[in-house]
Amino acid sequence: MAERPGPASEHDYANDAEELERLEAAMDEAPKGALLVSGIAVGLLLIGWLGLYFLVFLPRGPVG
Amino acid sequence: MAINEEAILKSEVRWAWIVGAIVAVILIAILYAALAMHINPPSNREYADPKTLHLSAEFTEANLGTRVGTDGQIVARVIATQFEFVPNCFVLPANRDVTIRLTSPDVIHGILVTGTNVNTMVIPGYVAQVHTRFTKTGDLLMPCHEFCGLGHSQMLATVRVVPPAEFHPDANGRASCGNRG
Repeated sequence: MAERPGPASEHDYANDAEELERLEAAMDEAPKGALLVSGIAVGLLLIGWLGLYFLVFLPRGPVG
Repeated sequence: MAINEEAILKSEVRWAWIVGAIVAVILIAILYAALAMHINPPSNREYADPKTLHLSAEFTEANLGTRVGTDGQIVARVIATQFEFVPNCFVLPANRDVTIRLTSPDVIHGILVTGTNVNTMVIPGYVAQVHTRFTKTGDLLMPCHEFCGLGHSQMLATVRVVPPAEFHPDANGRASCGNRG
């Protein structure tokens, strides 16, 4: 019967100053990536909406 | 450790401005369509007794279809009933303001005219009214778009849009798919 694998390392990452610095640097960068992803998603949505509006909705003529 | 809260706040405020600008663009587009292009959701509050439609002044059989009023107003009157439109073809001129009035004696129906923004519910007890102006000529399909029973998929009519020069109402102001002139 195989033994359950133990932790890869006993190193205490939570209190490692160098690790915390790297985490802080990553957190500083994170909003840029989030803005890029959400910007692309919202941009595509807006392009789709405007495309339907100008190419389909307006040419279909007045109604009321 | 301190995450740069100032930078996060800055990006959030920037994102709020972007979203605000997008909402403003969409609102302006909707207002432009409504005010400059006259594209609005059809709205009409008018009652018609579904039990006596065939006896009423407006939706009697003889009065259905397209009629040009003495004031020049072009009105098509249609009854939507399970599972057909009466009449199932009506003629209207292109590039003229026209009105389509519909009602139902039985259940809720709905209509749209393909390739146009004409789209409304037809509810028994009420008169649905749509003002529009067709820009293209041809036979446009007008299906029922509200499930109304087993024959729903067979329920469709034709809107025959003809050039104004080919729109010839008779002496009574009546025009039908049969008398294009």
